[in-house]
Amino acid sequence: MASIEVTDLTKEYGDLVAVDSLSFSVEEGEVFGYLGPNGAGKTTTIRTILGLLAPTSGTVSVLGTDVRDEDALVETKRRIGYLPATLGFDEDVTGNRVLDYHASLKGDPRRSELVDTFTPPLDRPIREYSTGNEQMLGLIQAFMHDPDLVIMDEPTSGLDPLKQEQFNEFVDAERERGTTIFFSSHVLSEVRRVCDRVAILRDGQLVALEDVESLLEKGGKRVRVRTPDDVATAVEGLDGAVDVVELEDGVQFTYVGEYNALLEHLTNYDVFDIDISEPPLEDVFMHYYGADATTAVRDAEGIDA
Amino acid sequence: MLETFYYETDRNVRGTLVFVALVSVYTAFIVALFPSIEAAGVDIDQVVEAYPEAVRQAMGVQSMSTIEGFLATQIYTFIWVLLMGLYFAYRSAGLVADDVERDRMDLLLSLPISRSRLVLEKFASVLVPIVALNVGVGAVIYAVGFAIGESIDLLDMTMVHLLSIPYLLACAGIGLVLSTAVDRADVAQRVAIGIVFALYLVETIAASTDGFEPLQYVSPTHYYDPTAILLEESYAYGDTLVLLAVTALLVVAAQFVFQRRDI
Repeated sequence: MASIEVTDLTKEYGDLVAVDSLSFSVEEGEVFGYLGPNGAGKTTTIRTILGLLAPTSGTVSVLGTDVRDEDALVETKRRIGYLPATLGFDEDVTGNRVLDYHASLKGDPRRSELVDTFTPPLDRPIREYSTGNEQMLGLIQAFMHDPDLVIMDEPTSGLDPLKQEQFNEFVDAERERGTTIFFSSHVLSEVRRVCDRVAILRDGQLVALEDVESLLEKGGKRVRVRTPDDVATAVEGLDGAVDVVELEDGVQFTYVGEYNALLEHLTNYDVFDIDISEPPLEDVFMHYYGADATTAVRDAEGIDA
Repeated sequence: MLETFYYETDRNVRGTLVFVALVSVYTAFIVALFPSIEAAGVDIDQVVEAYPEAVRQAMGVQSMSTIEGFLATQIYTFIWVLLMGLYFAYRSAGLVADDVERDRMDLLLSLPISRSRLVLEKFASVLVPIVALNVGVGAVIYAVGFAIGESIDLLDMTMVHLLSIPYLLACAGIGLVLSTAVDRADVAQRVAIGIVFALYLVETIAASTDGFEPLQYVSPTHYYDPTAILLEESYAYGDTLVLLAVTALLVVAAQFVFQRRDI
């Protein structure tokens, strides 16, 4: 059974279509990345999954429960953890008090273990917390009742690189435990690092749904050749070479063709150095966003930069 | 059961204590003034008689020369009916809207608790300051009255406080409905204050204006009359039931609104 099943989901606010006949499912035990620039409809989807928003049309079921059935959903929520994009805690209470309250409703078998991992200053009032510490508290409450499914909306925004790496390792460990994780992001590199599958959302519509590897495969390889010859024009004749950039000491391009053809082609030149690597996911992303790539990527990188 | 109620109560303990202390000090000060007013020898009742009926109605004045009459006017009609009515309407208007506005609500609703239960428990948490206020300030008024050598009937004192609880709950209920219907807490709170104040005025004016008498029944202030309790020892239990029924209705309405909305 799928952990999350979204079928033809549409959510409209008056004239604005936030999410447009969206369908996808998240399998049990996978880490699912939900990718798109701000305003693409990620948070709307998440809020619908949690029953905060009523679908305009279509159905959403989470852990087998229809989100429109409130009574059933309340029970199901014992098995769901949630980390919202904007964390709202009562500022006047301590972290411990918040966790106590949450625990009284959903339990906290993993609390002490998580507190050891994330270490926010639990005895201090939350108004004194840094963004990072609030996020740590958010992660503790999201996982402390040992849920089967955890939904996180932009979980790494506000984390410094060290905490981010800690978060990545944590997600890896959760995957090992069998926890299903659904998280949204506009940071492509982090999705690539921790996700099994990725859905890419654009203007409320799904533009891609693939595992990370085939996403990268479709994106081809980034080839960088250092040569004294003028290869830029010659490379353009090579089948499967796109996005050619002329460098001071050579050329760089994305290659989606056969390796043999590439190597054969290069023997015609004096090659000092060659570097073939995976393209940054940003490039792959651009591939899906096509003509509006620049805007999309700027949007994607803009807000939390 | 009642986790949210306990949490809300717990985090408001300090605020509730400060609030009760402030109102206590203020009312103690007013009650302590009574002997000097009495001693001034002015026939205050005669002055009061000269007021127009509408003003007397608004102030709940019948007699100011006895401690009961004085308390009914200065403390219960003004502070309890008007100020506390406004305060609890204001306070409960923030209960839900504030959480929605400050992005706390989606985290709360990710917890295994139904929306209607959340609304009910948050509303119930307002009962704590209402009861604390009545017990604390009631005791202070009684003690200060005793200290200045006035004996106030203990049963009347108890009743004037006890019967104010449904009244204040009804005011809080008005705030609660607005809190679930409006996204912005400050808007909900201002409208709640406006409505409770308008109802107070409506009752005052309607009660003494020919042809408009039926209008007074729409206001919760009509169903709690501290002057009648303290001076005439008349406890209108029927009115209390009306207030409790209205409160229940308002809570159900708030739950209805909140269950059907997007967060």
